[in-house]
Amino acid sequence: MLRFRQLLSVTAAALLIVTAGTAQAEWPEKPIKLIVPFKAGGSSDQMGRVVQAGIKESEALSQPVTIVNVGGHYSIGARRVMEAKPDGYNFLLIHLALMGGQGSGALDFGWKDFAPVASVGEFCLMPMVRKDSGIDSLEQLLTQAKDKPDSLIFGANLGAINHMGGLMLQETTPGAKFRFVQIGGGTANYTALTGAQTAVTVLSGAEVTKFTLLPDGSENPDSQIKPLAYTGSERFSGLPDIATTQELGYDVNFCIKSWFFAPKDTPQEAMDGFAAAIEKATQTDTYQDYLIKNGFANGIVTGDEMLEELQATWDRIEPIAKLAAQK
Amino acid sequence: MDLNALFVAIQQILSTHALLMLLLGTGLGIVVGAIPGLTGAMLIALTLPLTFYMTPFNAVVLLVSMYVGAISGGLITATLMRMPGTPAAVMTTFDGYPMARSGRPGRALGLGITASFVGGLIAWVVLLTITQPLSILATRFGPFEYFSLIMMAMVLIASVSEGSLVKGLISGLLGMLISMPGVDPASGMPRLTFDWYVLNGGLQLLPVLIGTFAVSQIIADALDIGKVSQNSKVDSRGVLMSLADLRRHALNMIRSSFIGTWIGILPGIGASIGSVVAYTAAKNMSKTPEEFGKGSEEGIIASEAANNATVGGALIPLIAMGIPGSVIDAILIGALTIHSIQPGPTLFLTNADIVWGIIATCLLANIVMWLMMTSSVRYIAKLIYLPRSYVLPVVIVFCVVGSYALNNTLFDIWVMLGFGVIGFLLERAKIPLGPFVIGFVLAPLGEEKLRSGLMMTAGDITPMFTRPFSLAFTLAAVVLLVWPLYNDWRRRRATA
Repeated sequence: MLRFRQLLSVTAAALLIVTAGTAQAEWPEKPIKLIVPFKAGGSSDQMGRVVQAGIKESEALSQPVTIVNVGGHYSIGARRVMEAKPDGYNFLLIHLALMGGQGSGALDFGWKDFAPVASVGEFCLMPMVRKDSGIDSLEQLLTQAKDKPDSLIFGANLGAINHMGGLMLQETTPGAKFRFVQIGGGTANYTALTGAQTAVTVLSGAEVTKFTLLPDGSENPDSQIKPLAYTGSERFSGLPDIATTQELGYDVNFCIKSWFFAPKDTPQEAMDGFAAAIEKATQTDTYQDYLIKNGFANGIVTGDEMLEELQATWDRIEPIAKLAAQK
Repeated sequence: MDLNALFVAIQQILSTHALLMLLLGTGLGIVVGAIPGLTGAMLIALTLPLTFYMTPFNAVVLLVSMYVGAISGGLITATLMRMPGTPAAVMTTFDGYPMARSGRPGRALGLGITASFVGGLIAWVVLLTITQPLSILATRFGPFEYFSLIMMAMVLIASVSEGSLVKGLISGLLGMLISMPGVDPASGMPRLTFDWYVLNGGLQLLPVLIGTFAVSQIIADALDIGKVSQNSKVDSRGVLMSLADLRRHALNMIRSSFIGTWIGILPGIGASIGSVVAYTAAKNMSKTPEEFGKGSEEGIIASEAANNATVGGALIPLIAMGIPGSVIDAILIGALTIHSIQPGPTLFLTNADIVWGIIATCLLANIVMWLMMTSSVRYIAKLIYLPRSYVLPVVIVFCVVGSYALNNTLFDIWVMLGFGVIGFLLERAKIPLGPFVIGFVLAPLGEEKLRSGLMMTAGDITPMFTRPFSLAFTLAAVVLLVWPLYNDWRRRRATA
């Protein structure tokens, strides 16, 4: 009998060790899935793939990262991660659109339904006008929007980032009002502004260099558009002559970062592990070259610091997103 | 016209992997075009997901050469089996088959191959010369011009496509209807999604295309799988056309090529219509119209020169304005957007290498097509007798993989299967599929343009009628819609 009980306790102990063993086994034990809720080839997809390459190059993880592009509306892929098993092998790469959709009411979930892992690769926007518009400064632009409200045609993709960027600029000057018109993304807005169908738009720093500079970095004489300011806290390295909005006396900071999220209740070990791997990836040459090429700022924010950053962004974006939905 | 850029593009194709794409694309296009039951649209829709792993340049080289190959390959089946390998080769069956039956299959194929080549070349010259000027003109187009142009294109395809105007309109409207769910372009909010979040992104182009063109065809093919075709032997006698032949048929070839090119340029309608119109014109002008339908050399030449010419023609509005000139071009637009390339007037500025890649491929693929077809038509002809029971299962696997690969959602597979059934039923009801796809592709574009125009003018629609280009397009659309109805009414009154 004693023997049997001994056996039992030994078996129990052995079982305990085995189960504890699986729980404590080094994360990751299998490939990690990173869902990019956009079509392959877009800017978020490129960011995901560069981080993936950086993780591989720096050997930060013992298992590979697999990127899964979920096309259609970004809410489809985001929801899939939100509802995924929080086992430490499901992550999401998304940006400000998530807050825009939540704020406007297009989504019935939002950033608080995820656990933040890391945020990287910041880029900001430049308000653009035509060279022959007679507008030479951000102040002139906003004064005109105030003196003749609802007459300056602002090209945007309604409800998306460039729309919110325009609203944010408009809100700095009480009474100012652009007339927002559905045009689309960067290239479409460049075309519409060049063709004088629109009067204003915002483009990312990298887009401005692509559309207004020649490959050797000198100004393209054929370009008919010019930037007025940069919405970052520091000047854009690609166009160092353009002042920031804050230098010009406007309390605007409108930048977009790539956010890595996990489903809620993902084990801390996996969250920290993936954040550390992303950090290592950002130190590789592959990643750094990509940043320079796309005019993105360096840096990585994780954990509680990221939570604070998200909260601050949300406080600024929520009213703007509500405004965007009123149209 | 920037000939230097053209030579750079040709050089790039000949000296890199793109050459492999060119040969593979043209060859596969010919074979798939030749096998009855497999069409060029199907091949290109299924290849699309694979091109994501290529550079954009290689991707367009592959897809455009498939386009050229598939339109050409159809003539083999049309001539030997009296079945159009692709819809564009219907007219070729009328004369190619009787000629082949009368013991001259090599001659019939040879005429078709060379006519295809000449048609392709003439259309290419037009593509080379007018695309850039047209794109410069199109940069002046505002939202109202685009909207009226798209409206005209949709009326055009409904009224000119095979079958009745009413069936064309039904098909086009159905296509427009299924493009409606998704994000509203004027507010950024989801609409018509019935609170079902997988519909937030709308129905995706690729599964809809694969369903309507590939799966529906598989269902139709599977229903008469037992059909066995008789074998006919081909020798190379007469495959090469003599100089005297060329001189004799030069006028017909050139006329048919220009007709094909022009029909190709018109947005929305493609190769089938081009060959019908050229065939009719050739018959009307022929000294021996009674031979048409009984093995006329002129008939084969008119049909084949025209259907190949539509390829080059249809690429013109695609590059210059971002509007598809044919169903296959609608798929090519999808391919470019997958690679984040926006077709339209700025394409020459933003992605000049891609534009010249398309133009260069159009030329090279025609040359490769001619070489491949003349040298090995005897062997390709054997492939068309492959039993369908081997071919179809492979194709359906590609359909499933292709629909899933782009977005990684299972929902897309259901969409693909659903539209396979819908496409099959539409065909059974003799409702053409062309307007359906064009409506699906163009309606969102048209809606976005109209609504952005109305936002710019604060709801005022008068610019539609005061701006010269949009007025012209609107009037053309009205005429195209009313004319067939008026004709119909007059005919009925005459008989009553």
